[in-house]
Amino acid sequence: MAQETRVRESTGADANGHTAVGRRVTRLDGAAKVTGKTVYADDMKMPGMLHASVLYAPHAHARIKSLDTTRARAVPGVFAVITAADLPDYNRNDSNRTGLIFPDKEVLFYGQPVAAVLSEDPHVAEAAVEMIEAAFERLPEVLDAVAAMEKDSPLVRDPLHDVDRSEERGHVSVETKETEQEGEPSNIASSAPFERGDVAAGFAEADIVIDRTWRSAMVHQSYIEPHSTIADYDISGELRVWTSTQAPFHIRNELAQAFGLPENRIRVTATEVGGGFGGKIYLTELMVAALAIAVQRPVKYIMSRKDDMLAATPAPFAHIELKTGMKRDGTLTALQARLIYDSGAFPGAPMLPGCMLIGGYYRCDNIDIKGYEVLTNKVSVGALRAPGAHNATFAIESNMDLMANELGLDPLEVRLKNAVAEGDPMPNGQIYPAIGLRECLEAIADSDVWRRRRDVEAMPNRGIGLAVGGWLGGLQPASAIVCLNPDGTINVTVGSADITGTNTSFQQITAEVLNLPLDMVNVETGDTKTAPYAGMSAGSKTVYTVGRAVKAAAEDLRQQMFELAMKRLEVEPEDMEVANCQVQVKGAPDRAMTFKRFGRLSTNFGAPFPVIVGRGTISARKSAPGFTAQAAEVEVDPETGDVTLHGYAIAQDAGFAINPLSVEGQMQGGASQGIGIALWEEMQYDEHGRLLNPNLLDYRLPTSRDLPPIETIIVEVPSEEGPYGARIVGEPSIVAGAATIGNAIDNATGARVDEVPITPERLIRSMDKL
Amino acid sequence: MMPKQLITLTVNGQEREIAVEPHWTLLETVREALNLTGSKEGCGTGDCGACTMTVDGRIVTSCLMLAPQANGRQVTTIEGLQSNGSLDPVQQAFIDTGGLQCGYCIPGMIVAARNLIDTNPSPTLDQIREGLGGNLCRCTGYAKIYEAVELAAERIREGA
Repeated sequence: MAQETRVRESTGADANGHTAVGRRVTRLDGAAKVTGKTVYADDMKMPGMLHASVLYAPHAHARIKSLDTTRARAVPGVFAVITAADLPDYNRNDSNRTGLIFPDKEVLFYGQPVAAVLSEDPHVAEAAVEMIEAAFERLPEVLDAVAAMEKDSPLVRDPLHDVDRSEERGHVSVETKETEQEGEPSNIASSAPFERGDVAAGFAEADIVIDRTWRSAMVHQSYIEPHSTIADYDISGELRVWTSTQAPFHIRNELAQAFGLPENRIRVTATEVGGGFGGKIYLTELMVAALAIAVQRPVKYIMSRKDDMLAATPAPFAHIELKTGMKRDGTLTALQARLIYDSGAFPGAPMLPGCMLIGGYYRCDNIDIKGYEVLTNKVSVGALRAPGAHNATFAIESNMDLMANELGLDPLEVRLKNAVAEGDPMPNGQIYPAIGLRECLEAIADSDVWRRRRDVEAMPNRGIGLAVGGWLGGLQPASAIVCLNPDGTINVTVGSADITGTNTSFQQITAEVLNLPLDMVNVETGDTKTAPYAGMSAGSKTVYTVGRAVKAAAEDLRQQMFELAMKRLEVEPEDMEVANCQVQVKGAPDRAMTFKRFGRLSTNFGAPFPVIVGRGTISARKSAPGFTAQAAEVEVDPETGDVTLHGYAIAQDAGFAINPLSVEGQMQGGASQGIGIALWEEMQYDEHGRLLNPNLLDYRLPTSRDLPPIETIIVEVPSEEGPYGARIVGEPSIVAGAATIGNAIDNATGARVDEVPITPERLIRSMDKL
Repeated sequence: MMPKQLITLTVNGQEREIAVEPHWTLLETVREALNLTGSKEGCGTGDCGACTMTVDGRIVTSCLMLAPQANGRQVTTIEGLQSNGSLDPVQQAFIDTGGLQCGYCIPGMIVAARNLIDTNPSPTLDQIREGLGGNLCRCTGYAKIYEAVELAAERIREGA
């Protein structure tokens, strides 16, 4: 049952010498969230605020013939109707989803924003959208990414130029030779090859070759809070944006470029994010800012659930052809893959990380991987927790099980035999630093779920499956400021949006460095005018990078106190330590100055010390990939194809779990999303590219009825650069679910479904019962 | 705009007279007219449960109930759970077990969990999973929410 969750109040060190990090700490924002006091963007009101409602394209591909707003403008209570013609000047780039507010000639996907109505009454705005008279001429829709690659396919859109990939780079750092669209007009937005050795020779050596095609559906992040943004602009040129985002500084930079404003005149506040999972980087902010500039009043835009399902940035469909060869002893000899990611109408599909992971889990001398990012007339895609990884992992981890089964080998042993470790190359030739893939496999072997394997396999229609997953992680410089208050307490200011409890981890890191009780330290995420720079909270890198900056800032503050104390304590800084809320002489704790005294002496009238402010800035160049191994126990109803999940376990390498309570939460949450991808989640389109299930009833999320408690095992293989050895945590947990469940279903039924979600219908068909 | 009508709601023990348009939902009325913004709209179609309140002691998705339907009735929102300056045991348990992350589903989830414990003081794991089936959480995978409800029920039974 409930585990010990409070950190002990004393400052005495534990066995590892740590006083604050490595402990289960409850969230700083917990009380505000359980009482409903946390303010999300939709909870905010500004004086004179207008509500925006948006007209979405009713066709997947069509020419805009006319857009008559006369009747909409005449609706009582409508303040303005804004189309492409009414927008303020901005640096438009039709090649990027976020470079184009409203199209003026052609719509490229069902749900593309076309115009907005503004009113003080959101109901009036919504009703008036219906009064806009829009006429379209339908154009051929290109909906199948694989067919779209053919030379004679109709084109999705005009050619691309100057594609901005800064958002994708925030999620993962991959060095490679990627080719952007060039030459003959084509729907292929970009492609990349990864080659090593000789695959033909590798297959010749193999005792078993498996050649299969794996498909994974387009899925939606389905944060419970839809996209929510407020913007205001004043005549002096100050732009303010309050928005549910993981990336306030990225938005600031993009808006500055879009409107030609200096970055110091734009203030982006990341309001509390009601779920992001990679989907809340930069989407509605440009439109809302443009509307606010157009009408010179604050504008609020809250996506309805339907808007969000139609027109946000879900995760891509992928079609992956994978041929792998293995020797009788379990050695992987060759891996050949063709990965096709459906990017929708704009570039941005996470093809590169998919390529890196499909060939990145196992040692293999001969690889030939080609990735394609293909345009279609569907909504453009974005990141969902380890973008692109689950698609590729479903393929390789299914092939691994099929090969092991054919050879009569144990699936766990085969994985252990081939698993990559420190010093092994990734598909692009980069060398792995210390990683914990093997350790995760060893840990999952010890899970309750895997240990029941023999018993479960003896039961009819039940099975257990296993798969690994991983994520390479993003890198971006970071900074932090740590201030000493007059009463001796500490404030930490960072620029990173807290989407996973990172501010609580920063509280722990600061308390650790200064040897203070946790409640002496408070942490705040500032906005882009008041906080020091941070990269986007994406790529699992916030604790890994900003956490390092916080640690450096706290150490800087400590050093300043040591130097200021030299005269009064009459010793050098190296003979001082922090303990008991004071700076004291090592071995003589009665010769000391309290933090409170430092606080007063650095702030009072006529005080002798300067203000004490610690500063931490870091660059981040070394990644710390995170791996996971997961196991599932399923029961399949042979008549209906229904799958019941009886148990699920996840082992994950956190490097060092600064806050095991929140690390477990990340593991369980990501695992549950992976299970959703495996069994239920799918955006379904009709033959004209219209989304059929834009709601949370027909788009089926995991509920409490579906999910047993998820067992967690934290593995700790320290990273080189992360604070206290911490590595990336947030994303790996989602990656293995599709393959884990697929392997368990095969184990239960002998049927292999080559497409997720594994719906009852697909499963029954695979069992040859339909 | 349609003509407004006057309704009376008792919200968190306080009687309020409010002029509403007939199409306003209970959620909208509580959030916009009473400025109690703890209850959230996640879908507007009764699928996610973020707007969960109790009306006369029964769970409702307040995004689907029109305000006039609640006329004369007792409404409890997340803001009504703490009393005398201290958290409800359910609220405290969610903090202690780490049963919350982004927090958007949490007000509705806690109202539903409190109602579950009120009707069944010793819920089993299966009963908890069944009882919270109408409240979606995308962050936690529910495991720590189950722990929170078990812990809260235990503390309430022990009179904490």
